Amino acid sequence: MDEVVRIVEEEGIIHKEPIVIEGLPDVGLVGTIAASYIVEKMDYKEIGYIESDLFVPVMVIHGGKLTNPFRLYSDKDGSLVVVLSEVAVPPKAVYPLTTVLANWFHKIDAKLVISIKGLPVKNRMDIEKPEVFAVGNNEAAMGELKDKQIEFLEEGFIAGTYAMMLWECTKRKLSAISLLAQCFPVYPDPGAAASAIESVKKFSPELTLDVGELLENAEEIKLKARDLMQQTALSASEMQKGMEQDMPIMYR
Amino acid sequence: MEIERRILKATWEHDGNLEPLYEVEDKGDEIFVTFDLPLVRKENIAINTTENTVEVTAKMSDAVCWARWGVVQKKITFQAFRKQIKLPEPIEPEKAQASFKNGILRINLPKVRRKVLITIE
Repeated sequence: MDEVVRIVEEEGIIHKEPIVIEGLPDVGLVGTIAASYIVEKMDYKEIGYIESDLFVPVMVIHGGKLTNPFRLYSDKDGSLVVVLSEVAVPPKAVYPLTTVLANWFHKIDAKLVISIKGLPVKNRMDIEKPEVFAVGNNEAAMGELKDKQIEFLEEGFIAGTYAMMLWECTKRKLSAISLLAQCFPVYPDPGAAASAIESVKKFSPELTLDVGELLENAEEIKLKARDLMQQTALSASEMQKGMEQDMPIMYR
Repeated sequence: MEIERRILKATWEHDGNLEPLYEVEDKGDEIFVTFDLPLVRKENIAINTTENTVEVTAKMSDAVCWARWGVVQKKITFQAFRKQIKLPEPIEPEKAQASFKNGILRINLPKVRRKVLITIE
């Protein structure tokens, strides 16, 4: 199963028990927008990419340079890693992708894995500043959330890449957290990404970036993110994302 | 197949119009349609409805130029959003209501309904 998705890292990269920030396309593109903004503002270096026969056969051109849309970044001293994608994750790739990523996080001795996601809410247009909720996968992760005073989800289904990411990390005894910012279900949401970044900053003093520019340019970002939003919405319906609106059976 | 479809069906037109992201929701007695309209002011939105369609045209406050982009079109300027949606059921255009907040246009379209009260014998 591991060969289906391959992580290709540059040689000589040193990791020092990094915090991993994962921003893959999902509802509101919250993770992708937040992770891209972090990488750009913190000037992180590209250290590798992820490839798979299950991904759409697409490459991206940035500044005239051919690059993989599924990339890995790191800070200078190896204490923070960012995983981001500019293309939607096909439903068939979710299991092998999360397995391979969790194996790699284990190999680089990741201290904490933080997935940035959106939490779709119907009344988003009436919310000025989206709130952020969280899911932690073990006692240590829950402790971190309590320390940072981030409210966690008490009941509910979670679906898609981040749900499996949490589970694969649990199987490898890695601490993992999903930060879920209230967002538009099918529209790109830079406001939600800004709220998510504010929460991520609580986990690493190194993240000194300001979200002002993200909020100022929100309209332009929404415009540029339309096509990825469409691709993601198509994948999301196959990933049972609708289940996140369902109530699980209450037995307590 | 999916890639071919996407190449043929771009979300922009050469005449400077962009297709907005939108969502149609059936709420029983009415249909909710929302449109994501970044860079648009309320006064620049025009909504036209018939019994079976809703059409939105929204001029952006600033034209957006994407240069040195793509293999199909190197430079293009967009000035407006335009989209016509075919509705799943007939609606009453005169009773439609719309609101615009935080870049999202929401239109409530009441369905044509002729309710008959049935008495139980």
